Amino acid sequence: MKIKQQAPASLQQQTTPLIDVTFQLLTFFMFTLRIVGPEGDFNINMPPPGAGAAKSEILPDIKVQLLADVNGNLASLKLGERQLGIGPGAYQLLNAEILKLVGGANAARSTDIEIEIDADYNLHFDNVVKAIGACTGRLGPDGKTIIRYVEKIKFAPPKANPDA
Amino acid sequence: MKFRSPPMPSAEMDMTPMMDLTFQLISFFMMVTNFDQTQIDERVRLPTDALAKPPEVRVEHQLVVNIGYKRAKDGTRLDPQPFVFLQGEELRIPEYRSRLQQEARIYQAKEVNLNDVTVVVRADSDVPTGNVQEFIKMSQDAKFEKFTLRAQQPID
Repeated sequence: MKIKQQAPASLQQQTTPLIDVTFQLLTFFMFTLRIVGPEGDFNINMPPPGAGAAKSEILPDIKVQLLADVNGNLASLKLGERQLGIGPGAYQLLNAEILKLVGGANAARSTDIEIEIDADYNLHFDNVVKAIGACTGRLGPDGKTIIRYVEKIKFAPPKANPDA
Repeated sequence: MKFRSPPMPSAEMDMTPMMDLTFQLISFFMMVTNFDQTQIDERVRLPTDALAKPPEVRVEHQLVVNIGYKRAKDGTRLDPQPFVFLQGEELRIPEYRSRLQQEARIYQAKEVNLNDVTVVVRADSDVPTGNVQEFIKMSQDAKFEKFTLRAQQPID
């Protein structure tokens, strides 16, 4: 009697489900990808109202005042009573003046200095961020490390909405 | 006379190179995808500053708040008032007060001290500073104490 040999089972695997899942994953990652520039934070020192921090008599707060025009653009930048003008040059000047104020001080002293940002209600927020950036410090020669001038930055009490 | 028919060419394609390429693409997208960006709202056009460096130490508890404008595709504002964008919802800034108090209660229920929670303000560069200060005041009323203002690094 002749015994028929069974045909060997196919060794080829079914790859279609694998390919399906792979393409679904690829599509998911492609659609969820967001190309945005890296984001960073500026810390601001905002103690709760009533929690009066002890103020130094030797190191009074440095006041940076930002005035807005009717469109919300910067109309005037002042450091204390000194006018620094408008535009990018004003922020560079502010940066240089802050360096002068903290320059002679040692690191421990510069951490005691506090800057108060007093901005008009309507002023566009990017002007405040530029001013905070100018007060915070500058980039080192390598373009990566931050040379900090001041650690503590706070907002002056909010002004009333002129349109209210 | 017998004629032999030539063997039929195989209909199966070699999928190996395509699969290799697909897996490489998946690996690339997995590497560049940042799941921390889920709290980011793309409608907010952040101010740029070169000193805006990502924090070196990861903040454990942070409440990210997006304040911006509803805009048309060409960038013009559809509403003159800014909104707080909250995962599909759009609230006026004063309307967010109750949500802030709710968030504070959630943190307290999780036994997280509110002093350890950082409120990250992602405000549009055109938002009036007064609105940002109003928001900070509201957060202080809800007993939050730590604040950071978020900015974007300029793209060269």
